[in-house]
Amino acid sequence: MNRKRFTTLLVLVFAVFLSLQPLAAQDEVTEFVFAHSGPIRTMDAPVTWFGSTHWLTNGLYDCLIWRAADGNGYVGQAAESWENVDDVTWRFKLREGLTFQNGEVLDAEAVKWNLDRVRSREDFLVYPQWQFIQDVVIVDPLTIEIVTVNPHPYFEYDVSYNGCQLLPPDYMAEVGEEEFARRPIGSGPFKLVEFTESDRYVFEAWDGYWAGPPAVDRVIYQVIPEQSAQVAALLAGQVDMIPAVPRPDRGLLEGSEGISVVEETSNRITSFYLRVETETGAMNETYPDFQPATLNDNVRLAISHALDRELLADVQGSAQPRLSRVCSYYPEGFAEQYADPEAVAAWYNPDLSRSLLAEAGFADGAGPTIYLDAPTFQFGNEKEVAEVAAAMLEEVGFNVELNILDASAYSEQITSGGNNRDMMLTTLGCSPSLVPTFYTCEWTQANYNVCVPEWDALGKQILTTVNPEARLDLWGQWWETYVNYAQTITLYEINSVIAYNSAEFDFTPRKDGWFTFRDLKPRQ
Amino acid sequence: MYGLFVNRMIQMVITLFIVSMIVFFMVRLKGDPISVMAPPTFNTEQIARLREAWGFDKPLLEQYTIFITKAITGDFGQSIQARRPAMELVMERLGNTYLLASCAALLGLVLALPLGVMSAVRRNSLIDVVSSAFAALGNAMPNFWLGLMLIIVFSVNLRILPAFGALEPAAFIMPSITLAVGTAARLSRVTRSAMLEVMNQDYIRTAYSKGLSNRFVLIKHALRNALIPIVTVFGLQLGWLLGGSVVVESVFSWPGLGRLMIESINVRDITVVQAGLFWFALSFILINFIVDALYVYLDPRIHYR
Repeated sequence: MNRKRFTTLLVLVFAVFLSLQPLAAQDEVTEFVFAHSGPIRTMDAPVTWFGSTHWLTNGLYDCLIWRAADGNGYVGQAAESWENVDDVTWRFKLREGLTFQNGEVLDAEAVKWNLDRVRSREDFLVYPQWQFIQDVVIVDPLTIEIVTVNPHPYFEYDVSYNGCQLLPPDYMAEVGEEEFARRPIGSGPFKLVEFTESDRYVFEAWDGYWAGPPAVDRVIYQVIPEQSAQVAALLAGQVDMIPAVPRPDRGLLEGSEGISVVEETSNRITSFYLRVETETGAMNETYPDFQPATLNDNVRLAISHALDRELLADVQGSAQPRLSRVCSYYPEGFAEQYADPEAVAAWYNPDLSRSLLAEAGFADGAGPTIYLDAPTFQFGNEKEVAEVAAAMLEEVGFNVELNILDASAYSEQITSGGNNRDMMLTTLGCSPSLVPTFYTCEWTQANYNVCVPEWDALGKQILTTVNPEARLDLWGQWWETYVNYAQTITLYEINSVIAYNSAEFDFTPRKDGWFTFRDLKPRQ
Repeated sequence: MYGLFVNRMIQMVITLFIVSMIVFFMVRLKGDPISVMAPPTFNTEQIARLREAWGFDKPLLEQYTIFITKAITGDFGQSIQARRPAMELVMERLGNTYLLASCAALLGLVLALPLGVMSAVRRNSLIDVVSSAFAALGNAMPNFWLGLMLIIVFSVNLRILPAFGALEPAAFIMPSITLAVGTAARLSRVTRSAMLEVMNQDYIRTAYSKGLSNRFVLIKHALRNALIPIVTVFGLQLGWLLGGSVVVESVFSWPGLGRLMIESINVRDITVVQAGLFWFALSFILINFIVDALYVYLDPRIHYR
């Protein structure tokens, strides 16, 4: 074959190959790669409390019901319908013909086994959250009743929370928990087909899902610990989404073709937690005889009025200033009163702060010394936020001793170690079902050896009042105590800043800050 | 050689025992991991029950006795987070770390030896200047920075190499280069100085005067005699490559032991930390053993009793 003929043949082969491309493209698998910082460890979801693990396993397992993506109510998963029979009984009707991905039947018995498992296993980190259940009664193979200890206004939230995942009991009995963690099976829209622990998890659409297979054929969770490496992978087109865009990279990603940056509430609120006693935690041993200035009610309130939350939220980078500790999209957050920019701005009152300090015996700028603990970085610029807050406090007369620690050391020594002296910066979830629990006397007495009886009574009433209007009234009173007692001083609600491949996918972030890809659609 | 083997085996057991003790007490220095892993919904009573369930309520010495008795049989306990045997998690990652370190070591060696030999032979020439500049740069550049720069150039701009993972052969290229540059820089300097010393010896002059070719003299007479310090430094570098992989594995999301260790330390999964550090220690000891054995091969005058 001479060179000319060979070249012609090569061109022809190439042309045929190119012409076949659109045909081949029709059979292409739609693959979505989500980059995540990790770590992710177990696939036996109820065992753990880490949110990231629950994001990952969300497509693998169905729950009875699940929180709607827009934060407005609940949607049925294994349950087709559910009703509140009386104050303490909830009845769930399961969908007909449900199975797990291995063909095992998902019926009332399987649901009962799962609920009994999470509420009886003390070694599970979700165990305390499931103590609201008194009994689980099988009515018939498709009907189950859950009886709660008390009337439970946040039942739907709690029954769809961490630990709600339905696992196949027979398969678990056959392989054991250790093997199950290696080869998990659920009843959700995605099957786990391959994984390396805390590195890469490959899920494929399951044809047998009750709602039909999801629109994306394959979802891959890829752990990429470094944020800058995540950004590079997105820019290189090797991942399709990163859940937390570093502030310096935001402009770069916004200006990149085919990439969109969106912001949505992350369901997290950052606050200062103040010492109101001296008897608990390691602080007592580390600093014997230390008397926190924050034991004084006026000092705590002075701190609260000295902080310009709008500026602090700005320093954080992607946050909204707040006064209450429940996220603003919940009615219980009282957004009009505690999230309204004017109301928050009005709360910032350095003059009032100074006069409160004077009442506490610290007149003419000779304020008390306050020890302020903060991590370098957890959810966004904590170090800088603490520094600016310290400057604000010094402005009204406090002497501030800043103690900034690396995030893991901070967690070990301060938040978990109990070594906070006056105030510490912490970010926590903001759902209304959990918040009052942390201020009831059972909790505060056991953890801080203090109790505010009126506050305790209000919290308990909230947690047992099923009527929404009456409950909101109680919340209104509860917040009055919260902002004026100032044991916890809310600063801001954090947003997630998400960057994704908008050229190929349609994505709407969830209100609760979770990353699940059941509803993800390829762009047409 | 047999004496060396027995000697090193005894040393290995003693070292591993000491390492296990240090690691065990160090990771518990700041208290048990339960307080860190427990969610805020746990009260003090529930934390105490969890502590009891994992055996962290027992006296430290009793905990250590239980640990070491099981560790002798290869059982390092269950991972607190993954609920799987800690050693199993470590073994899943170990191969990737060894593979990456081996590639980097090989690459480092391939770069350093010719560079070092040539800059010694052509002292003060352009190649010597370039080699010196490379050594200075290679030593000064932090490997995480180099790794990110490579990602930006080859993954983001040129789009020819994967930015993360260990899924395809091409994924080895950037992490290996990142790890190898430092090793090559150090090794090339050692090779140069060792070669310079050997090149001034009488037997090299004799070899040349016998009319042997330049290549033969360099490889057979000079390089072979210069190998002892090179092997010593290379052995140390292998250890550094295993340790250095901790950073590089994070930058390139390489599913290796280094990344597992970082993650486990962050979430205080101490059983995994203990198992991982055991393997790191064992690897260092084995590398040292191989280096010692190589001395005997390279210089027959060396004997171990």
